[in-house]
Amino acid sequence: MRFELSEDQQEIQGAARELLAGRSSFAQVRAVVEEQDAEPTGMPDLSKVPGEDAGLWKELGELGWTGIAVPEDHGGQGLGLIELVTITEELGYAVAAVPFLGSTTAALVIQHEGSDEQREDWLGHLASGELRGATTLTGDKVPVPGAAEGSLVVVADAHGGPAALYGPGSGVVEPVTAIDPTRGHGRVPIAGLDPEEELDGRGEWLGGTVTPAGPGFDRAAIVVAAELVGVMQRALDMTVSYVKDRKQFGVPVGSFQAVQHGAAQMLRDVTMARVLTYNAAWVADHGDPAEVRVAASMAKAAASEAGRTVTSAAIQLHGGIGFTWEADVHWLMKRAQIDAALLGGAGHHRRRVAGQVVAGNVPAA
Amino acid sequence: MDLTFTPEQLAFRDELRTWLREHGPEGALTPEPRDEDEQWEWRRAWQRTLHAGRWAGVHWPTEVGGRGATLSETAIFFEELGRSGAPLPADVLGILLAGPTLMVWGDDAQKDRLLPTILSADETWCQGFSEPDAGSDFGAVKTRAVRENPDDPESDWLVTGQKVWTSGAQYAKWCMLVARTDDTAGAKKHAGLTYFVLDMEQAAVDVRPLVQITGSPEFNELFLDDARIPNSMVVGGVGNGWKVALTTLMNERAGLAFFLQVRLRQQLDKLVAAAKRNGSVDDPIVADRLADLHVRTEALRLMAWKGLTAIEQYGQPGPEGSLTKWLWSETNQLLVQLAVDVVGADALTMEDSWGFELLRARGNSIEGGTTEIQKNIIAERVLGLPRAR
Ligand SMILES: Cc1cc2nc3c(=O)[nH]c(=O)nc-3n(C[C@H](O)[C@H](O)[C@H](O)COP(=O)(O)OP(=O)(O)OC[C@H]3O[C@@H](n4cnc5c(N)ncnc54)[C@H](O)[C@@H]3O)c2cc1C
Repeated sequence: MRFELSEDQQEIQGAARELLAGRSSFAQVRAVVEEQDAEPTGMPDLSKVPGEDAGLWKELGELGWTGIAVPEDHGGQGLGLIELVTITEELGYAVAAVPFLGSTTAALVIQHEGSDEQREDWLGHLASGELRGATTLTGDKVPVPGAAEGSLVVVADAHGGPAALYGPGSGVVEPVTAIDPTRGHGRVPIAGLDPEEELDGRGEWLGGTVTPAGPGFDRAAIVVAAELVGVMQRALDMTVSYVKDRKQFGVPVGSFQAVQHGAAQMLRDVTMARVLTYNAAWVADHGDPAEVRVAASMAKAAASEAGRTVTSAAIQLHGGIGFTWEADVHWLMKRAQIDAALLGGAGHHRRRVAGQVVAGNVPAA
Repeated sequence: MDLTFTPEQLAFRDELRTWLREHGPEGALTPEPRDEDEQWEWRRAWQRTLHAGRWAGVHWPTEVGGRGATLSETAIFFEELGRSGAPLPADVLGILLAGPTLMVWGDDAQKDRLLPTILSADETWCQGFSEPDAGSDFGAVKTRAVRENPDDPESDWLVTGQKVWTSGAQYAKWCMLVARTDDTAGAKKHAGLTYFVLDMEQAAVDVRPLVQITGSPEFNELFLDDARIPNSMVVGGVGNGWKVALTTLMNERAGLAFFLQVRLRQQLDKLVAAAKRNGSVDDPIVADRLADLHVRTEALRLMAWKGLTAIEQYGQPGPEGSLTKWLWSETNQLLVQLAVDVVGADALTMEDSWGFELLRARGNSIEGGTTEIQKNIIAERVLGLPRAR
């Protein structure tokens, strides 16, 4: 039992933190957002994805981050989910304006649930970063990060049904202006995937046959939880340093107990989400495959719940400045709100936990 | 990350499991009696059984009857004990608090006299820290100890004052007592405290039961009127009581966290089973709440192990101690409250064990440091915020 990243993993974490501190400061994220706002409305420039730092994205591809968990024979680095989760947390911490989440989750889904042919066709392109991916569930119409006309989209039935793959240019994505302007989003309005019915001509069944979505989407949910953990940690760090500094009544507001207890609650919520997320990643890499589903849902339930409350508390504890466009706290809240809903919110995942916990593992009387 | 046990740890666990199967609730251990005094005797007998198998103080050194177990093995011990459904040994206070404190601060004579009777449960302990005016503000203790003969540095001490909420005092031979030995103006509040071992078997110690909201007198008031303590029973030196007491408090949650976390899991399993039996699990709200409890309980287990990794790595506990205490008490309270909705009116009677649990759980966020105090600790010592006002 060693609940701590290995030395190699800590090295990856440190490298990611260092790179992003220089390449994705809030000032840089803001510049990406404001450049996009400055563009004339009308004909969109299709060569540019809104809310995206193209230079950083290219750099991440070159560094191999986008393919970190993709097997080596498909052009990736063949590392585990823990390594991917470690990097994703750092990208969340930096609210990096890149389509990392969509691409890496789509790659996980294809790797674990795709047919040989689908893996062959898509994994290499996703690993290199040249193809954008997006991952979502049917029905909820949440703005999906990474979903654009040219993206590959994987969609799982939200009620335990099968999953489908839509290649670039399939026409399945609708544009949307999401509350989070720090990356591109699209909507994937597919109501449901009925195993009894033919897919409409735009997509194909994931894995080539009609099978219930599973290990790939579970892993994808863990990665989204990891991004939430990073976002929350940033919200906590910013808040702690702000309330130490800001004075009212002649003292730092951080000396008021109501403020202190609010910050303590933030730490508790982040800590719960973090241990559950790293546990889930570990189970996915090394544990019993039958336990991945519940581990993933526990992580996503905790992270979705906490992602909302922690980033909201950050705004509250900053006072009026926290409610301005000028302060950077809102990027965190916006990212967290979308991630909290993406691939199922807390309620969705608690339903899955309940289903599993009640189904088995319980003494009869 | 490695969330598996080493072969040595697995061997330790398997040996323990085998032993528990034979001696625990599945084996020779009789069911828990209802009467409180009988319960105590039952737990004392259980401690003796544990001791005979050398399981009573696994983290104690082998010379004094322990196994010199590592922190991880100790955690495994408490997890397995909880999982088997067996109770804690009668004298948790002696095993987890007094013994380890004496091992750090006691002199040889104290260790020779006091340690051997702890694991065997021949002499049990209570903790006399809290007072009517010194609860969360523990440094404010007023109970006074003076030398009988102020000119003789070897003289006995006479102690006068009142302690409160003293669990197990009615059975205890010894009391970890913190008293004020210096209240000269200007002496810093904490500096005037001394840590004593008080012999409870004397007329000057009056133990009066305090009935809890459950109806049972688990704790007591302690009235001391010139109670006598030989100078040889000062632990860690006169005026050093605050530091010694901190050692006791640090030990309070070490192993217990694992036991409590597994107990929570068992209560949850019981509640899920009840919800399945009466169909309330089909209520989406009940299902959602049960799942939330499951998530919290699993987070607690992981946080406890993460905390242990931090201790093994850096020699001191991480922030997880206060976080887990807070999360555990809140989760247990949510659980027993949900039980009232799931089990229904039966849970509101004293005939049903849920009725007792509902009441007992209210103490969880007070005992061992209130939730508010845990949050203060997290804010000031973990997050580094300025002292509260
Ligand atoms: C079941 C049980 C068993 C116990 N067993 C023992 C025992 O064996 N030995 C022993 O010595 N003690 C024991 N205690 C005592 C326990 O440690 C104290 O009750 C506890 O520390 C709180 O002190 P208090 O009761 O004086 O409450 P107070 O300190 O008076 O607190 C009252 C309220 O004020 C809040 N408060 C106090 N200070 C602050 C602050 N600085 N910031 C914010 N809020 C604050 C508290 O959180 C609480 O809500 C036991 C208690 C219980 C419930």
